[in-house]
Amino acid sequence: MRPVQLILIVMLIGILFLYFNRLRSGLVDRVVVALFVVVGITLAAIPDVTMKIAAFVGVGRGADLFMYLALVGIGFFLLVLYSKLRDIESTISELARSVAIDTAHEPGRAADPRPSEPFPKKE
Amino acid sequence: MHMNPSIFVIVPAYNEANVVRSVLKKLIEFGHTIVVVDDGSSDHTWEILQELPVHALRHPINLGEGAALQTGMSYALSKGADVIVHFDADGQHRVEDIAVLTAPILSGEADVVLGSRFLRESDAEAVPARRRLLLRCARIINGLLTGVWLTDAHNGFRALSAEAASRIHLHENRFAHASEILSQIRQSGAHYIERPTSILYTDYSQEKGQSAWNGIRIVIDIVVRKIFR
Repeated sequence: MRPVQLILIVMLIGILFLYFNRLRSGLVDRVVVALFVVVGITLAAIPDVTMKIAAFVGVGRGADLFMYLALVGIGFFLLVLYSKLRDIESTISELARSVAIDTAHEPGRAADPRPSEPFPKKE
Repeated sequence: MHMNPSIFVIVPAYNEANVVRSVLKKLIEFGHTIVVVDDGSSDHTWEILQELPVHALRHPINLGEGAALQTGMSYALSKGADVIVHFDADGQHRVEDIAVLTAPILSGEADVVLGSRFLRESDAEAVPARRRLLLRCARIINGLLTGVWLTDAHNGFRALSAEAASRIHLHENRFAHASEILSQIRQSGAHYIERPTSILYTDYSQEKGQSAWNGIRIVIDIVVRKIFR
């Protein structure tokens, strides 16, 4: 086994470990990540398999095939993350909006001695 | 419409402490109901608003002009507004023009009236040449993306009937809301027209105005919205 294979396998196991330990995720997510890591380890350990698949789909080398797949995969994850960010942003907006409306100062109360900060800290 | 229609002027303000007082004074003189949405300013904007006879709302964090307008509209509708006007806090819109925009709504001629600086020769000439070119391009992009072809683009001065405003909900927090509002006006089936308004190009508003780079960002935002919504 070449050193690079060992490094890849260790990194994949590391990802699995981190994912299971640090992220609270659903069973489906865990199964998908576990599958991903198992496939990754298999391919790292037995490079012949990758080469055969690459030759089958018409890509010269196994490593090239992987790079293409990885690029597509990263692009996909970025899109998913971006759409999640947008969801979060819209939730925050609605929250900020209702806070703003609830704490509105009306003109009649311009001389109101209330604190000027609309979100006073709780004592 | 009531005998005495209530016109709510919505002014989104973000770090406008230098000019907000003078802009609002003028609006107050005209007797309009004013809703100022402080979009999480870090300067003294909020303190200044407290001293003035206006409805002052404050976002706890900065969200963007689109979000501020939506907050103002939701609030105005809850207070029984008949007509809602969008007005910039940087002093580039003329208070006198509010009547120009609201008249067609009060007479039932239109549901939405959009201000344009390209309907009158004198207003168009006041637009700096570089901005004019930028706006021409923006106009075409806007038309292609929203299906609403106007003589002006990204003119924040507009008036809506309560009915039209209630059918709009802006999700684009940043500047892409200008295109989003047009899409939604079109989708809601509201009858929209343009009316001439002039823009006062002061050094201050120029500085705050949008750069070409912002224009590119807006297009990206709009395209992303088309994909995700």
